[in-house]
Amino acid sequence: MDTYFNPQIFADSIWLLIKTLPIVFEVLILGLIFSYVWGLALSLIRISRFRILRYLSGAYIDFFRGLPLLLLFIFIYYGLAVVGVKLNAIASGVLGLTLCYGAYSAEIFRAGIQAIPKGQMEAARSLGMSSSQAMRHVILPQAVKLVVPPLTNEFIAMIKDTSLMSVITVPELLFRAKEKMGVVANPTPLTVAAIIYVAFTIPLIRVAARLENRGRRRSKGKDKPSTEMPKGGVMH
Amino acid sequence: MIELIDVHKHFGHLKVLQGVDLTVVKKEVVVVIGPSGSGKSTMLRCINGLEPVTKGKVIIEGEDIHAPHTDANKIRQRIGMVFQSFNLFPHRNAIQNVMLAPLKVQKKPKGEAETIALELLAKVGLADKADAYPDELSGGQQQRVAIARALAMQPDMMLFDEVTSALDPELVAEVLGVMQNLAEAGMTMVVVTHEMGFAREVGSRLIFMDGGVVVEEGDPREMIVAPKEPRTQKFLSMVL
Repeated sequence: MDTYFNPQIFADSIWLLIKTLPIVFEVLILGLIFSYVWGLALSLIRISRFRILRYLSGAYIDFFRGLPLLLLFIFIYYGLAVVGVKLNAIASGVLGLTLCYGAYSAEIFRAGIQAIPKGQMEAARSLGMSSSQAMRHVILPQAVKLVVPPLTNEFIAMIKDTSLMSVITVPELLFRAKEKMGVVANPTPLTVAAIIYVAFTIPLIRVAARLENRGRRRSKGKDKPSTEMPKGGVMH
Repeated sequence: MIELIDVHKHFGHLKVLQGVDLTVVKKEVVVVIGPSGSGKSTMLRCINGLEPVTKGKVIIEGEDIHAPHTDANKIRQRIGMVFQSFNLFPHRNAIQNVMLAPLKVQKKPKGEAETIALELLAKVGLADKADAYPDELSGGQQQRVAIARALAMQPDMMLFDEVTSALDPELVAEVLGVMQNLAEAGMTMVVVTHEMGFAREVGSRLIFMDGGVVVEEGDPREMIVAPKEPRTQKFLSMVL
């Protein structure tokens, strides 16, 4: 007990680790915004009518979905420095998150857009809307509702993946916890870090589950043939 | 007004349309019947360019809607279309469904679009349902909102694609009634349907399609009673 929950070290570590939260939040908020914007753009390119762009976007998504994020962080921070591109640790972290999570969220957006029945696009086009107007006013507002639960799950994964940035000297939770562990020669700081991580992730896991249930209930509750949105899954 | 010249449409090896010629003049109500898979719906979708043609031309008021440099969006604004599955926008209520295209496509001011939308909802008998969302409406009500939505762009012609086929029997009449009023007001209409009563009462011309071509056309009252082609005879004997 004294090894993992040493009271003195526990008390010392809490404040030390809480002080890292502004940096964690900064990285997360920037990563969230950039990766969702980038992901939406990628997904729209992926389903556009330009074959070459479609192919490039697909290749990008496959590549970054297949790449370990840790390798990407190290490459951006240490690897690019070799050719003179020097990004600071936080910028490297945000860039890595954006590149990688952009690819993940692109697939989620694409599934959401393609889950909207084809008749919606046709009805919009038959009214004289261009395909981009139809996308903006008819398809995306419906698709966004569908992708909120899976994007919430992505965000949970992103929170956990900020810990990988400890390797590129971003002074976040795990980085400081490890540092402290070295100083006091005791793993209690890791326990504190773990508690802080789950204090953020567990409520979000609950939120995501509730959002998913609500969506499922809503689509089950109807029996009329209508412009019903199917949940998840990819159609057509 | 609408002219189809030797229209072919292939989906891979499937030849859905194999040379359709059809002319629709102003204020005509052309009713299209035929067995499923005969190409009726595909023909409608080719008329407003939702489906590209494999060969042939579709001329709308002098403009070829499938020509590469035609602004098809512009032409579509003049062609209203109503679908079998309603396709109302589920995230918007009835009046917003009707207002959306006038606001975003015609760039009408909000007040004006609202006035038009309310008038049209009243016209289809749903003035009191303006704030209802599609999932709060019956199929017949949804379809009438869909008609109002198409009319909001003030189209010169309307296409109806089996608009009563997904409805419970007791709701069919309310939709057909709205269509009849529209025809009597002089709207040019192409109506794909199985409602022979509607064809007889409202149609100015009846088209029988089978195998991707127009097999027979004529006055609906005469043709329903005395079809000339054997294929028409066979089909009518089964549906009447």
